[in-house]
Amino acid sequence: MSGRRGGPEEFVEAENAEAIILRIEQKSRKIETLLRQSRPVEALKTALEGSAPKTMDERCKSANWIVVHRAIMAIKDVDGMLFSLDPEYYDILMKYLYRGLSTGDRPTCDQCLQIHEKLTQRAGLGCILRCLADTENTV
Amino acid sequence: MANTQRLYLTCIRNTLDAAMCLQNFPCQEVERHNKPEVELKTSPELLLNPVLICRNEAEKCLIETSINSLRISLKVKQADELENILTKKFLRFLSMRAEAFQVLRRKPVQGYDISFLITNYHCEEMQKHKLIDFIVQFMEDIDKEISELKLSVNTRGRLVATEFLKQFI
Repeated sequence: MSGRRGGPEEFVEAENAEAIILRIEQKSRKIETLLRQSRPVEALKTALEGSAPKTMDERCKSANWIVVHRAIMAIKDVDGMLFSLDPEYYDILMKYLYRGLSTGDRPTCDQCLQIHEKLTQRAGLGCILRCLADTENTV
Repeated sequence: MANTQRLYLTCIRNTLDAAMCLQNFPCQEVERHNKPEVELKTSPELLLNPVLICRNEAEKCLIETSINSLRISLKVKQADELENILTKKFLRFLSMRAEAFQVLRRKPVQGYDISFLITNYHCEEMQKHKLIDFIVQFMEDIDKEISELKLSVNTRGRLVATEFLKQFI
């Protein structure tokens, strides 16, 4: 369990972690279905939605990252994907791209670098700065 | 291959463009002191998230920003033992002359080959986009330099060996 720092919030956090992980597993199944139907853009949208809840639990973050990673690697047409993605998802996508770039795994890094360039052209430098400055909601 | 390098450098350039937002900030703990906060890391509210950009398993770039300073650490690709030695010697040569470069750090950060430290004073004296151009140009040139050095070592070795062994013919 995540560290006990006392107070009622910790218990809520622990329960929430299990619930969040269940939700992530459901999301993962939905994404697999969407990918089998060759709809990678919807898969990415599903993966990014609901990944913003404030959770400090490393397991939740890792589980979320695995799901988003699967969706990102399935994207072939980057321009088309960014065209149809809502602007509200740009910031969270940028955070996941930086997480992907820190893994050091060659295919992940290649894909993330490609998307990063196009996303910066579309969303601007503010997107990168918000990603750097947000120390509370990290992925 | 050239394409991944271009993408890698573009990514670093964009990140630096966004991260190089430095302003003067006197030390909070000690009166009349002005220290680069990224080096000390005493106050978490003054630091931004560090960002690690990897091109592959061997090459990576760590960018850490704070309110008044920015630290960039590079790990250069080293394919074999010879390149390892050449890189270490060459970058040590540069680091010892860090005064001349102004933005170079005397010792690289643990786990990396070379580090730059850019403070708000550098941004005031020099132009921001030129600083970024310098860093990116440095990254491009370092690969070429190391290859050239390797080539010249191999050539010289071959010449010396040929001359030496001639006396035994």
